[in-house]
Amino acid sequence: MADENGSNLKQFTDGIVNNNPVLVQLLGMCPMLAITNSVANALVMGAAATFVVVMSNTITSLLRNLIKPHVRILIFTLTIATFVTIADFLLKAFVYDVAMKLGPFIPLIIVNCMIICRAEVVAIRNGLARSLADAFGIGIGFTFALLILGVIRELLGAGTWTFPFPIPGIAPEGFIQIMPSSFADNGHNWVIMVLPPGAFLTLGVVIGVVNWIRSKSEGGA
Amino acid sequence: MKKFIDESWLVLLMGIGFACLLAGAQTGLNDRIQDNKKAALNQGIAEVVPDLGSEAPTMFEIDGNNVYKCLDNNGQLAGWAIVGSTGGFVDTIELVAGLSPDGNTITGIKVLVQNETPGLGDKITTDPAEKNFYPRQYTGRSTNGPFSLTKQDPQNPNDIQAITGATYSSQYVMDIVNDIIMRIKPQLDQHR
Repeated sequence: MADENGSNLKQFTDGIVNNNPVLVQLLGMCPMLAITNSVANALVMGAAATFVVVMSNTITSLLRNLIKPHVRILIFTLTIATFVTIADFLLKAFVYDVAMKLGPFIPLIIVNCMIICRAEVVAIRNGLARSLADAFGIGIGFTFALLILGVIRELLGAGTWTFPFPIPGIAPEGFIQIMPSSFADNGHNWVIMVLPPGAFLTLGVVIGVVNWIRSKSEGGA
Repeated sequence: MKKFIDESWLVLLMGIGFACLLAGAQTGLNDRIQDNKKAALNQGIAEVVPDLGSEAPTMFEIDGNNVYKCLDNNGQLAGWAIVGSTGGFVDTIELVAGLSPDGNTITGIKVLVQNETPGLGDKITTDPAEKNFYPRQYTGRSTNGPFSLTKQDPQNPNDIQAITGATYSSQYVMDIVNDIIMRIKPQLDQHR
């Protein structure tokens, strides 16, 4: 996956587009399906995962010449678990309501294979700059994919877009009402979209669209 | 032994380093996290005890449940806020129930912690579309007998209507409220 000759910039943009962890590599599906029922959840989960992958890639890259091959998985897991726990503390300290909603899915970032995959594929054999470019690319790509699902599912399921905290001027109460309020009041909202089946349906459609665009851009291959 | 140290010194060092890092993060952020928890609880108490004054409620414990004695702005008893919890359908549910000063009426319930199914079970907390239909049912009800859950329109004075598609979540919340009114409420008199 890591192209040894590519530039750091390409490593960064690959994580977002060509090598998007969710939409192309199909990694990190568990949080993808579980928490994308609102924009706020998607943003916070994306930020937490980005923080963890950046820290994990940094530590792994800095220590790459000291890590003995047969204990590397142990070291990756130790690093990831530490930073996930710190991320959990940070969320509970600064966005308590959303942290409560995400519940067990923050600690579950520990077993998100997307993060250990970056340590194994990129960070352990590349320098700090390359590993950071990769981590930010993958983190932003992951957040972007979560956001696409969150935007679609919350719009159809509840008619709103919520944010982790109030934004003065745009969303003073922490959410924007997109659909008219009669949408949810009269029961016209698609409840299935905020439930797990809605996640599978939306994800299937989004991956289909992404594959179609990719095949187009590769000259109809 | 030398081989063991050779192979594992990095893991041991990282273990120690990360432990210090976690201890630091915990120490640095714990006050804020506890403040957030307290703010969520205080907001819940204010919602379920309508006449709550500006003075902070005094807390004591009855049989393992935290009970808050709430005064109004004139120093008179405004009501009681009682915290209860149980294992829910998914994870622990914790709620605070408000009782009137004489303990005979429920003045409201507010779920503080829950991880129920989004869109179904989480209607025990908020349900904007139905104007919080489920938790609202408890407001103003008598604390005489245990409530019972029904899937139809309520017929009896003690009936609580379950949330469609979330009977278990509704049941667990009702279990907590029943426990509070049957086990904790009779002991309130000792603390007036």
